[in-house]
Amino acid sequence: MEAYIYNLVNLIAIYSILAVTLNFIMGYAGIYSLAHAVFFGLGAYTSAFVAQNVSASILVSFPAAMLAAGVVSLALALPALRVRGEYFVAASLGLQVLSVTIYSEWKGFTGGIGGVLAIPPVNILGIDVFRPAAFAILSVTVLVLVLLIVNALVHSSFGRNLRAIRDSESAAASFGKNVPVIKTISVVISAALAALAGALYASYLSFINVESFTLDTSVLVMAMVIIGGTGTVAGPIVGAAILLILPSVISYFDFLPQTEIGSLQQIIYGLGMTLLMIFRPGGIVGRRSGT
Amino acid sequence: MSMTQPQQGETLMQIRNLDKSFGGVKAVDDVTMDLRAGIVTTLVGPNGAGKTTFFNLITGNLPRDGGEVTWLGRDIAGVKPHRIARAGIMRTYQDLRLFDGMTVWENVLNATEYGALPIPLGSAARAARRERIERVLERTGLADKRNTRALDLAYAERKFLSMARIMATEARLWLLDEPASGLDPASYDRFLTILREDVAGGVTVCIIEHNLDIVIGISDRIAFLDRGKLLADGDPQTVLNDPELAKIYFGERT
Amino acid sequence: MLAIQLAITGLQTGALYALTAVGFSLIFGSTRIFHFAHGAAFVIAAYFFYAAFGAGWGVIPAIGVSAFGAVAFGLLLDRLVYVPIQRHEGSFFTVFVASFGVGIAVQNVIGMIFGRGYVTVNTTLSRSVEVIPEVYVSPLAWIAIACAAVFLGGLGFFLKRTHTGMALRALADNPELVRTFGLNPRAIQAAAFAIGSVIVVPAAIITSATTGLSPAIGHHVMLISLAATIVGGIGSIPGTMLAGVMLGLAESLALLVVDTQWTEAVTFAILFAFIIIRPSGLLGRATAH
Repeated sequence: MEAYIYNLVNLIAIYSILAVTLNFIMGYAGIYSLAHAVFFGLGAYTSAFVAQNVSASILVSFPAAMLAAGVVSLALALPALRVRGEYFVAASLGLQVLSVTIYSEWKGFTGGIGGVLAIPPVNILGIDVFRPAAFAILSVTVLVLVLLIVNALVHSSFGRNLRAIRDSESAAASFGKNVPVIKTISVVISAALAALAGALYASYLSFINVESFTLDTSVLVMAMVIIGGTGTVAGPIVGAAILLILPSVISYFDFLPQTEIGSLQQIIYGLGMTLLMIFRPGGIVGRRSGT
Repeated sequence: MSMTQPQQGETLMQIRNLDKSFGGVKAVDDVTMDLRAGIVTTLVGPNGAGKTTFFNLITGNLPRDGGEVTWLGRDIAGVKPHRIARAGIMRTYQDLRLFDGMTVWENVLNATEYGALPIPLGSAARAARRERIERVLERTGLADKRNTRALDLAYAERKFLSMARIMATEARLWLLDEPASGLDPASYDRFLTILREDVAGGVTVCIIEHNLDIVIGISDRIAFLDRGKLLADGDPQTVLNDPELAKIYFGERT
Repeated sequence: MLAIQLAITGLQTGALYALTAVGFSLIFGSTRIFHFAHGAAFVIAAYFFYAAFGAGWGVIPAIGVSAFGAVAFGLLLDRLVYVPIQRHEGSFFTVFVASFGVGIAVQNVIGMIFGRGYVTVNTTLSRSVEVIPEVYVSPLAWIAIACAAVFLGGLGFFLKRTHTGMALRALADNPELVRTFGLNPRAIQAAAFAIGSVIVVPAAIITSATTGLSPAIGHHVMLISLAATIVGGIGSIPGTMLAGVMLGLAESLALLVVDTQWTEAVTFAILFAFIIIRPSGLLGRATAH
């Protein structure tokens, strides 16, 4: 039971980092990305590669993961954000599909379909962190740090600029804001922080493969943000917790077909997203819009 | 006002033979005019005369087909809207385009924040900015609503917030797209007061307006547009008393 | 010879892509609804055909079932999801997410019923025949190309020559104009969904007999639809058709140099190249700020 709880805490913390960072661009900048799992994966593969070949120190592998994700996201965002929002959805979907192919094929870096095995545990000041309880402290700490960073950004002029762009791009430009640049920076920050989740994930499981970084993961994280509530602080974490506990809840009900837990989970959050949009677009935590 | 007082009558903007058409329909047709410092120019004309398109061409929101626009002697063809704004030309929108999810205070504050990345301000600069915004909210009657989301404001308050955003900036030229339409008499006195004060403080204004009382109350000069063409450009009395123009103007509206 | 072979296969793929993408493009262009569940309409059409045909209903009834499924899905989604959302705000975000959610649900319901693996409809029509030395073409390829010509030509005629078609084209720019035509914008919107959904049916059925189906194919369909819509130029139906054919040809001809798993990468590369170099697309109008 204890192991189960720690495992759940670790997974919720890791997915919360993904949800919080996706919410940063979705909820505050109005940028809809279907490629968040790409940066999650890039963070995981990069940190695994660095940990195996250079150093497992958190001061080396984690920044390397952030750098890789930041650079790739820049290549996506710079052109795709110059044009309408729909283009970014399309380009991010394309990048997600392409990345799954690359992650399956680039054996030297990702181990191909088989994945990367025996990833060394992350090392903090000479101590290897691998026990679930100790790791939970690490993953929650990273989550808190990410939350603090995102929160500070949101309440700075940068965050106000993002929200202004979300609410009216043309008015934001009319007040002197360089809209594409501001949006691009937000995507790079989001991707770099999402890579932290990947680095944690790789180190925690000590094994990763492409299955964890597919479009399904991008969709799952988006569902977490939307169901919890976009543009809120607590929403993404609430959403992550709900969706990660959902499979256990489904398995509690014997009358549901237990071999189809994955599908049932997706049907529930798929329909949940649709119903929320019809009846409560702000999500569970969000304020009702309108007066 | 922290800006230097421009010399009265100095030409800020020169517009020469400006053209724009949409699918063969000329929205702005060979318009030539100057905007001089300290002068309130009102654009009048029937709906669809091309007034808003004219603004969109100046601010870079739309690419022009032909003609020339210079600002302080510099050609601003093809310059991006945010750069034109930073050069000192700002506008309001007829449909307001407030930052609806943000509070009144954030709306006004953010109108003054250009940089992509946060620039740390000294405490003196922060205090000066706070005071400036405070004063703008006072004048627009929004001081009590500072923590209200723009979305939750009443109609007239929304219109004043649209004005407050531009008042907080250091823009030298304001392009106002029907800022007073639909206001009650008290609000509109407040609006006229604001405009007179800021014009006296050195702001140059170009305004689209239908309400003739307002037009007469504030204009130094009236430019009459119809189907994209500048039919008249002169002092208010001459333009408003022209029977031909009155026919076009009122004929369209009934 | 390989190049000719690949060009013919590419034309077949391109014909199917054009049929698939044009439905999304029509709906998005005329109603501004980002109908991400278009992929789900394709999945429903394909699996309804697969089920009916597999149950021995014969081709024609199975096509009927497939068309019914796609149209009913499109109309229900419009009526039960999009119209209520448009009533309160209808931002890009709410419509996209609602549509997306439906797509996920459909994919998984189909997966639970039919399994998540690939299924294929068996027909002798997919058997290739040597038309010229070393070039093998299946009758389905000709059927695909003929279907595309007939349906896309029909759509073009409908949009240019009929009252409803012209109203559809006007809807995006000016809903008021549609009203002055004496037509109801909501009915026109429903028509867009009916037509946009039914036109994926031939592509879905032919795909079920050629490359086969999986419930997750909806995502591939959406990638193609979005890519063709953007590459063709948003709002341009002929542009989407052209881009669809182009993407199919490019994917196929790319096999001269890369392996099959990279075909989607080719689509992405073309999409990305257009976003960088020509965001207004092949036949699109430049978009204003």
